[in-house]
Amino acid sequence: MQLKRPASPLHLSLMAASCALLSDTARAQAAPGAAEQPLQIDADLLYYKENAGRVQTIEPVVSLKKDFGDQRLLDGTLTLDTLSGATPNGAIPARTAQTFASPSSTSLTPKPGYKTTLYTIAPGDLPQDPHFKESRVAGDLDWSQPIGLDNTLSYGGHASTEHDFDSVAAHAGLSHDFNEKNTTLSAGINEEFDRIHAHGGNPVPGSDYALYEKEPSQTKNITGGLIGVAQVLRRNWLTELNYTFDHSKGYLTDPYRIISVVDDTGAVTGYRYENRPDTRTRQSLYWVNKVALGPTVLDLSYRRSKDSWGIGSDTVDAKLRIDLGTGMYLEPHARWYHQSAADFYNLYLIETGPAPTYMSADPRLAVFAATTFGLKFGIATSHNGELSLRLEQYAQKPSDQSSSLPGLQGLDLNPNLKAIIVQLGWHLVY
Amino acid sequence: MPREGGIVAVCFVAMASPCELLLETADAQAAHEMGRVAAQEAWRIESKYSRYRPESIVSVINRSHGHAVVVDGETAALLDYAAQCHALSQGRFDITSGVLRRCWRFDGSDRLPEPTAVAALLPLIGFEKVRWQAPRITLPTGMEIDLGGIGKEYAVDRVLALVAARFTAAALVNFGGDLAANRAPGTGPWQVGVERPGTEREPRLLLELSRGGLATSGDTHRFLLRDGVRYGHILDPRSGWPVRDTPRSVTVAAASCVEAGILATFAMLQGGGAESFLEEQGVRHWCLR
Repeated sequence: MQLKRPASPLHLSLMAASCALLSDTARAQAAPGAAEQPLQIDADLLYYKENAGRVQTIEPVVSLKKDFGDQRLLDGTLTLDTLSGATPNGAIPARTAQTFASPSSTSLTPKPGYKTTLYTIAPGDLPQDPHFKESRVAGDLDWSQPIGLDNTLSYGGHASTEHDFDSVAAHAGLSHDFNEKNTTLSAGINEEFDRIHAHGGNPVPGSDYALYEKEPSQTKNITGGLIGVAQVLRRNWLTELNYTFDHSKGYLTDPYRIISVVDDTGAVTGYRYENRPDTRTRQSLYWVNKVALGPTVLDLSYRRSKDSWGIGSDTVDAKLRIDLGTGMYLEPHARWYHQSAADFYNLYLIETGPAPTYMSADPRLAVFAATTFGLKFGIATSHNGELSLRLEQYAQKPSDQSSSLPGLQGLDLNPNLKAIIVQLGWHLVY
Repeated sequence: MPREGGIVAVCFVAMASPCELLLETADAQAAHEMGRVAAQEAWRIESKYSRYRPESIVSVINRSHGHAVVVDGETAALLDYAAQCHALSQGRFDITSGVLRRCWRFDGSDRLPEPTAVAALLPLIGFEKVRWQAPRITLPTGMEIDLGGIGKEYAVDRVLALVAARFTAAALVNFGGDLAANRAPGTGPWQVGVERPGTEREPRLLLELSRGGLATSGDTHRFLLRDGVRYGHILDPRSGWPVRDTPRSVTVAAASCVEAGILATFAMLQGGGAESFLEEQGVRHWCLR
């Protein structure tokens, strides 16, 4: 045993640290046996608005994630959305005024016992249904749990309903960690069943609009699968490669879309309901990298998709999360997208040509490029809460916008689309 | 004056150690009740912080794959403490060094790991790579934390505080040789026989303790022997290799068990300089080589 000497500066620091540890926790008085079982709550409000008085959406989303310990997680999400505004019906602008019936009409011409709501589009304007309004309620419930030390099983379901569309889906997946948890292999399957019962009935696909032929409700189902591998390449670099496959079968036509029929001068002579093939097979390859550069995190991904309708697409998406310290961050976001057209896509049909079996003028099936630029700002509101605000601008530019037919020259047949997105988010952990 | 009845001992097992609570009382019923309180607190801390328990907060953090984990106040205090000790030891004390177990197996053999295997683990070690700002910890993927180096001493101090808040008697808590007392019994200081791990052939160290903590850090039987060089199980997280010339056992007395434990650990990490380090700190200590 030694003579007592005065405490050194290091000893004084250790003494202070030890005292702080013991006094802190004496105050905290954690309840015996109270295990941490955090509850995570996310509430988001999304607002989306297209230019030129077109569609706008308000979408509140609430999600709850409960940790039952031992990596057993229950995740539930409830989404409500309301779409309103004018929606293009698929017809092209014309030199003369055009008159259409809103889909809820049961007859094109007023008749006893039928309902007719008409709208007229001025010469040169894009035909849009001004009466569009839709509300949707959707719920998701997912469960995941470990099986043994290195496997995770997850399964869940989804259901949504709106006036003209109901959907139920289920999925299950298994992932396996190995190589000291540096590599994860995943596989999953999903099945979705949808019922389409358009306002005023489902039109007969490909039929003459003037006949206004409607059918009872239709169904479709989608079967899909995924395989993926995630690999920790370095301590600060995670890469993931996924291949997804899905096959849709049934009524894949949009019941509200029509396509203009013109003569060889470009004068509109009528319209047809669109008609799409009743199967669609889609494959995509998705590669994502997450790289931590100090406190800044880069998220860079590329997706290549291809489907049996002839649509091929490429997406490049980059996000950079910049930590500003004191609980604040900025996240710039940029996305570029390009797709080729479906084989049966046309701006319009020419009546003198042979009538195709499949036809659609849906701008979502056209060749187009789209860009998104955005910025998100997040701030910690307390030790367990965070508020965030995201602002984004979306711009879509089709490559096929005009015609050489004399009657259509000078008309913008497939206008550019611009939209803004504002999202307010609130995140809390109990 | 000693109280009538003398000392009552209540024993249990927690953290893989024999644990006892000594109380100076004649009320055996109350002593047993205090023993139950002590055991429950020890088991609570063990289940909350053991890296062997999948439901522990340590396991949750170790499985977080680079995602932030929000921790409670008690865990935050322990992580703050670990962060301070890491800084004060210039990186020698590091709760992320446990991954070295993957290549070091101290089984008394001469099987040293390949230097490349040790070097390959170094990117996964270093508390400075952990993002910690209470209450959020973000552990880079592949890294692990282990609070084993402070957990037992912390439990000793917590149990003593809990018992002392409920019972006025002189009390001593002893978890496998790490101990703390609130005051001496009426008969004089507690007589403590300290088992020194790895030195079973030596006589037990007999000490007197009135109040405060006492902790021992030892080399135990865990070592590798190659070409006459003994590689002890105290690893330097900065190199991934054993600290040279560590004493077989260091015992330190301080104001609390936590403080005694960290001083003994710091001394071990000094290797050949353990004794002079302890001299400088001005604490009562016993080193055995």
